[in-house]
Amino acid sequence: MKFAFYPGCSAQSTCKELSLATRQVAQKLGVDLFELESAACTGSRALRALDEKLFLTLNARTLAAAEQVANQLLTVCNTCTLNFLDCQKRLEEDPEMKDAINSELREFNLHYSGKLRVTHFLWMLLEDVGEERLKAAVVRKLSGLKLAAFYGCHIIRPPEHFAFFDSRNARSIERINTILGSESVDYTGRTECCGFHTAAEGEKIAIKLAGRHVKSAQDSGAKAIVTPCPLCHTVLDTLQPEMETDLKTTLKMPILHLPQLVGLALGIHPRDLGMDRHVVPTTDIAPVGAPDDSSGRESFLPCA
Amino acid sequence: MESSYGRELGRAELLDDRLKRSSLLKIGELLEVTIKRFNPDVDLAPSFVRYQVPYAKHMRILDVLNYLEEVQGQDIAYRWFCGVKKCGTCAVRVNGKEVLACWESAERTMLIEPLRHAPLIRDLAIDREDYEAHVLALKPWLQRKGAYPGFPERISHVDMKQASKALDCISCMACYSACPVLDFPGVSNFIGPAPLVQLAQVALDPRDGMDRAELIAKVGNIHDCVSCYKCEEVCPVNIPIVSSIIEPLKRRANADAGARSRHAIMFLKLISQLGRINPARLVLSTQGVRGLGQIKRALKLIALGKINLRQLIYPRAIKGQREVSKIVSKNWNKT
Repeated sequence: MKFAFYPGCSAQSTCKELSLATRQVAQKLGVDLFELESAACTGSRALRALDEKLFLTLNARTLAAAEQVANQLLTVCNTCTLNFLDCQKRLEEDPEMKDAINSELREFNLHYSGKLRVTHFLWMLLEDVGEERLKAAVVRKLSGLKLAAFYGCHIIRPPEHFAFFDSRNARSIERINTILGSESVDYTGRTECCGFHTAAEGEKIAIKLAGRHVKSAQDSGAKAIVTPCPLCHTVLDTLQPEMETDLKTTLKMPILHLPQLVGLALGIHPRDLGMDRHVVPTTDIAPVGAPDDSSGRESFLPCA
Repeated sequence: MESSYGRELGRAELLDDRLKRSSLLKIGELLEVTIKRFNPDVDLAPSFVRYQVPYAKHMRILDVLNYLEEVQGQDIAYRWFCGVKKCGTCAVRVNGKEVLACWESAERTMLIEPLRHAPLIRDLAIDREDYEAHVLALKPWLQRKGAYPGFPERISHVDMKQASKALDCISCMACYSACPVLDFPGVSNFIGPAPLVQLAQVALDPRDGMDRAELIAKVGNIHDCVSCYKCEEVCPVNIPIVSSIIEPLKRRANADAGARSRHAIMFLKLISQLGRINPARLVLSTQGVRGLGQIKRALKLIALGKINLRQLIYPRAIKGQREVSKIVSKNWNKT
């Protein structure tokens, strides 16, 4: 399995541990990743709110570069995924725009055909690796670990596009939990918004939006929240101390990147998954100081 | 490979299909209906009252409410008029999701609540006055550049394409209730999706000549939209609210130096300079001195390696940054 790999800006800076964990897990699962060194930011939500053609051209450039190395592209960020999917759909619907953009890309020796398949790590686990192979790769079931799934908006909405449906019914992370042996709790935040996209301007909305869902996860008995999106991770983890102040309560809720969770079940050491890089310590889930040798593996994996 | 198995997990298992759900219901079977009832003039607190309603073929939520009213004689306050998805008065929350009572099928168990973010009159009837005041504050009427040329006006489908999506709005307030930012009126003055859709009906009309950038940014507070797409998910007439309303309006605001989002401009600058975003730099340049107030958090993030000090001061650009910069300068010339 070969993918052009687009980690996105967060996984290369604030959430470096995400690209670390993704690589480790990909290697274990026999997934080849070719990182796109010249790939630009997809523009988050900001670029499309400035100029549509700029947004489309920038993403068509990255997609065209990916088309040269593989026929599928893997992302680990929800917003990047949606931006790529949106760009592809828009250019498919508007051949004139596509031609205009291709003539702009010509000077960089690039051509956007639109044939690339864009997928997200979460979908790849289920669609490409498949449940059977993932199950077979699990060396230690995460039995007894209660997890709250936080999907994030941009891989479940807008509805009626990209095979998305009523977001509240999404069950892919819960299915992965079952395969890894961990349990899923039900709580208010599963398919809600973390507020990341206003956080650079001011964090108050994000603190309010995410705080109540972290609290709800705690009330539901979750030992950690798992998310497939680095932007959600940034809010849920980095701003958690502020949420505690705002709610006047102790949350101490570890936030795991999905690849980290999978990595734990595949027997990868927490340190190699970058689990010591979180604001909220993950030591209750997986102590980073655990012994390295495989005989000590049991000791760093979540206990029942 | 076309498989979308990963995305579709849950759809079939949870019967995310109106026809399938309805086909499971038998005529005469008792539906369990819970209605949030509250009369602020009399009751101290809302109560959740349970009713049983026999299922009839093609029964809608409105039929359930009408049955309770007409057959069981329950005095439940709810609002409806046309019954065919036109008037936009019957929206309620059913099992946590905003729907039009006249358009959604009844289900085996239902919790029916009033819309959120509006004062309650009684039971399921909300007061639309605040919402209507918000709409009016955005001055949603055409202000022509020149004189009215007389009927018929020459106007093409292409001219009206942008505004046409907004013109589908039936003003049902479903999106207004679903918007999570409106949960925190003390934190954000975001006006909500529905008033912005009303504004877009005229702001995106080619005949409109008013500069609405200030209105969009300062009255609408559009830059507080979190892009969660919750509004699109509940819109009964399928308006792509984020991509066809909010984003075009944001572009109007961002084209104006006095109304633009500082974050968006700093974002663009960083992309042009580096090809990618350096989050710490983005926050610092967006928030300015205000960002320094978070020095304690910044130190912690530096200690954890989440902020790389060297990258913050001497950021590294991506390979091919020149290409990116060229694309930016070719497509963005507003200062």
